Amino acid sequence: MKKKVLAAMLASLMAVSMTACGGSSSQENAAAPSDSAQSQAGTEANAASADGPIALTLWGAEEDQTLLGELVEGFKAAYPDQTFDIQIGVESESTAKDTILTDVEAAADVYAFASDQLNDLVKAGALLNLEEYADALTVAGKTLDDVKSANSAGSIEAATMDGSLYAFPRSGDNGYFLYYDSSVLSDEDVASWDNLLAAANKAGKKVGMTLASGWYNASFFYGAGFTTGLNDDQTTSIDWNKTSADGYTGVDVVKSMLNIAADPAFMAIADGDISNQLASGALVACVSGTWDSITAQEVFGDGYAATKLPTFTVGDKQVQQGSVAGFKFVGVNGYAENAGWAVLLADYISNQDSQQKFFEQRECGPTNVNLIDSDAVKANVAIAALAEQSAYSKTQLVGGKYWDPTQTFGELIAQGTLSADDDAAIQNALDTLVEGVTAPVE
Amino acid sequence: MNNTGKVKKLKENRVSSIVLHNLLIGVLAFIWLIPIVWLVCTSFSAYSGMNTSTFFPEKWSAVNYAKLFHPDTVAQFPQWFMNTFIIACFTCVISTMFVLMVAYAMSVMRFPMRKPLMNLAVILNLFPGMLAMIAVYFTLKSFNLTNSYAGLIMVYSGSAGMGYLIAKGFFDTVPRALCEAARIDGCTEARIFWNIILPMSRPIIVYTVISSFLVPWMDFVYAKMILNAGISANYTVAIGLYKMLDKSLINSYFTQFCAGGVLVSIPISILFIIMQKFYVEGITGGAVKG
Amino acid sequence: MADKKNKNVLSSIGKFFAEFAEAIVHGDIFVKLSLVWMGAGYAKRKQYIKAVLMTVLEIAVIAFTVSFAMKYVPKFGTLGTVKMEKVFNVSTMKSEINDYDNSFKILLFSLFSFVVWFAFAVVWIKNVVNAYRLQKLSEAGKHIATFREDLHSLVEERFHITLLTLPVLGVVIFTAIPILLLILVAFTNYDQQHMPPSALFTWTGLTNFINLFGGGGLTVTFGYAFVRVLGWTLVWAFFATLTTYIGGILLSLLLNSKKTRLTKMWRTLFIVTIAVPQFVSLLLVRNFFSNGGIVNTICASIGLTGFLRDIGLVSTSYIPFLSAPGWAHVMIILINIWIGVPYQMLIATGVLMNLPTDQLESARVDGAKPFQIFKSITMPYLLFVTGPTLVTDFVKNINNFNVIYLLTQDVYTTTNQAMANSQAKEVDLLVTWLFRLTQDYYNYKMASAIGIIVFIICSVFTLVAFNRMIKGDREGTYQ
Repeated sequence: MKKKVLAAMLASLMAVSMTACGGSSSQENAAAPSDSAQSQAGTEANAASADGPIALTLWGAEEDQTLLGELVEGFKAAYPDQTFDIQIGVESESTAKDTILTDVEAAADVYAFASDQLNDLVKAGALLNLEEYADALTVAGKTLDDVKSANSAGSIEAATMDGSLYAFPRSGDNGYFLYYDSSVLSDEDVASWDNLLAAANKAGKKVGMTLASGWYNASFFYGAGFTTGLNDDQTTSIDWNKTSADGYTGVDVVKSMLNIAADPAFMAIADGDISNQLASGALVACVSGTWDSITAQEVFGDGYAATKLPTFTVGDKQVQQGSVAGFKFVGVNGYAENAGWAVLLADYISNQDSQQKFFEQRECGPTNVNLIDSDAVKANVAIAALAEQSAYSKTQLVGGKYWDPTQTFGELIAQGTLSADDDAAIQNALDTLVEGVTAPVE
Repeated sequence: MNNTGKVKKLKENRVSSIVLHNLLIGVLAFIWLIPIVWLVCTSFSAYSGMNTSTFFPEKWSAVNYAKLFHPDTVAQFPQWFMNTFIIACFTCVISTMFVLMVAYAMSVMRFPMRKPLMNLAVILNLFPGMLAMIAVYFTLKSFNLTNSYAGLIMVYSGSAGMGYLIAKGFFDTVPRALCEAARIDGCTEARIFWNIILPMSRPIIVYTVISSFLVPWMDFVYAKMILNAGISANYTVAIGLYKMLDKSLINSYFTQFCAGGVLVSIPISILFIIMQKFYVEGITGGAVKG
Repeated sequence: MADKKNKNVLSSIGKFFAEFAEAIVHGDIFVKLSLVWMGAGYAKRKQYIKAVLMTVLEIAVIAFTVSFAMKYVPKFGTLGTVKMEKVFNVSTMKSEINDYDNSFKILLFSLFSFVVWFAFAVVWIKNVVNAYRLQKLSEAGKHIATFREDLHSLVEERFHITLLTLPVLGVVIFTAIPILLLILVAFTNYDQQHMPPSALFTWTGLTNFINLFGGGGLTVTFGYAFVRVLGWTLVWAFFATLTTYIGGILLSLLLNSKKTRLTKMWRTLFIVTIAVPQFVSLLLVRNFFSNGGIVNTICASIGLTGFLRDIGLVSTSYIPFLSAPGWAHVMIILINIWIGVPYQMLIATGVLMNLPTDQLESARVDGAKPFQIFKSITMPYLLFVTGPTLVTDFVKNINNFNVIYLLTQDVYTTTNQAMANSQAKEVDLLVTWLFRLTQDYYNYKMASAIGIIVFIICSVFTLVAFNRMIKGDREGTYQ
């Protein structure tokens, strides 16, 4: 086939150059496209003739590859009557959306992704509506309701859109909390930002947090009762420039953030730079997630501890800082050919036994309710802190226009460009922020 | 030679200015090398994450290099290196051919479409190519060339012809009389190209070869898009290393990333050093001046 | 100048069709038959191989049209109407998907077909003209070239065709068609709401351009951001080109001076910086100058940071090398010198080694001083040879994605809310901005519309400069 195409191409190429007796050179491009039809046809034929073993592709994070290989073997063993050809590829959960949306049809049949991407993936048709494919689970002797009841309510809610479940929750550790050195800080110190910063000042150390990110700085607003949401037309709704349900104004929250940021013991850290700052030994506490647990253990040694986020002062009241509840999901591609088996594989990777393995080998916090209550999980410092924080966390449902304005807003606070005394300027900045976030999606 | 006193004085003058001159170069070279030295130092750090607050690592170790050669699921450096090397060789040959062919046609030959084609090339270069990436991807996909090295090679070398200007500038300086004489002797255009112009153009050939050879080692945008099956063993060095910078990996792979960077630059540096010899031959060999 | 060029192009197009008309009117039956069977004219004049080749080409194009183009081109007007739908079949465990339309593929493959047809039309017309030419030759009793002679002409007077065929083909497929496609996309509503394959997009005429120029839809800050970004793009391209160009020449003169000892070693040291891939070296340099990086640690310990704060240049506890506008702009250009000068040094060295020695010799014999020689011989020669590259470098820098992306992505946060509301930063070039619009927001239609505007601005500027640089009369000077 290939040779023929090549021959045809060469022949027509020659023919073209032959006619060019007049000496023009604008006619070279006639030949090559003509073989596209033939190779196209070839591809389709190949795809159609793929009978035999069931071909599936699976994407997971680089660090999970070994475990995924193990789980795939387990999956094959669970269905001995069927032969599978399962390819495992590397795609980090945090970047899955970017790669998948570029070409949905070329993406893996089953893939892991971070919960904040769910909305975009569903809109692009990159996730199967599991309600429509629930029948496939009968092969595993399960129903979709079993999946829903096996996992924590928060994770199922985050995986649901318009009343349909779109992904299997796999881990619930994609959130942040407070790491601290318990040899320096007491339980009381880490209860509020005021105490925390005062103690850090005394110890001559710093407390680090990322402000220039809408994922982190929303925690102050969520804590004070503000909300974000996603409208049907994909625009974001946000009320930070008004008064929250708890009776706080956005200006008040910004003022207390400015006070924290202006404290000499506070260090505003760029997104992703926390582990580097931890390693340098300057920090005594920081707001981060499970991905920094190893670094934190190394740096804090015996003092390694973690807990929920502290409270912060708004006016004369203490407000518990909120957070964003983040999960890792396993989804099935809307264009998967062997969709039924893909659903079964996704379910297998996220079932209780697999979550147990993810916890044991990768220290991933489970979403399975039985595992959450197990002693082993409760004994894990970071995951226990996350569970403690989860009472104050929210699912962050926002559109694409949310991120840049909130990042800049956080940077304004971190650099102290706004003054805590200037209410009008703060209100103005908040209005601009809201205007940017709520801008129509074009 | 007959006035030894004058020569001596001249020499003394020269010595001090030579020292100053070389000192200046030394200072410049030092500035240029600081980041490279840091790269090498970091690659020998025993700590695996990123530490930007000290210049020299606290503990030295060659463990990062050892890890690169004992591939795990994340880092498969030897495999990536081979992949990139193969792609680079093909890219280099095709690109160099394209560039020299176009440069010769535009510089030495005269034909009606010459000026319009040259202007067209400039216009096409102006369009932000990043935007066209997705179209290139789907073009390759329709030929079933995504996730293949052939596809990558085509992307890297397909449009190489547009970068002909430097080579053309060079060919323009070759004395026309030479070509005329050869034509009168009955040489075909092809022979003039092959036997007269090319041997005289070593510097520019070397330049073209090097710059096209480097492309696959440097590019992570196109490679990431085209090799999108996530099969780590198929990566080029650039994507493989770039993926180590992922938020969840950087803490355990940053120094390996540096070690990988060092290993990539070694062969490329050697290539440059060898090619330098050709430059020198270019001057001393009288061929250039005809 | 431009006028004259246009006239030339127009008149040659006119001539092209005039020849065609003449061939049809005056040609014999075989010339006319060539309109249908492309090999006819050749077969009559006993050029059998050519006849066969043309026939094969004709069949190939017809086959392409029937089996490929016809699947897409008829839908070009609507860009598809059938949305994807799927049903799960439990017995096969597979999804049953309907035969849906993919707007992007329709657009791409239709364009592909148009290009093929256009090229074929040119060949077809040329073919008829050729057949007529052959007829006239044989009527005049002149020699008709044999196939061998035709082949031979490809290494002779038509050698440029041999040389240019493949490179041009590559450019058409990998540059021209993608660019044409994106020009078309600017007239559609291809964005995140209308992403194939799950959704269809369609033609929307000039809506995107109307929105871009304040017709509503977009945020008010978009125009503001556009002007800022364009301004920095031009400033960056100018300085990045100029500094590395001058730096490269100076460095190569320095290295190639007779006073330099160990030339090779020095050159090697500089070249090593090119050998490290940019995504490694730039990333390191970025960490080097980061807010908590080594340079800041050093500056703080020698008191530079405190000094700068005292005179009001810095308001933070660190020097914001790459995180504040102004500072970042200067640093990016400086770091680019570090990256770019060794390259330029290589080029300049190559050129310097090709200096016309006879001119230098005679100047020396005439007793010219080294500086005079440099001013009146070396410099003009350098400028002549590398002049055109100044223009290409400028264009390359306008679209210099790597340096800006690697130095600022994920590190630089703008504090200008108006910029942020349009997803732009002060240090963005138009390319990096467009890249984010497509990668993060999938806003292809707007990115394409902006791309076209950028393209028009750049091309006006560059074509003027380019035509000055390579004016026909300059080409002969050093030959």
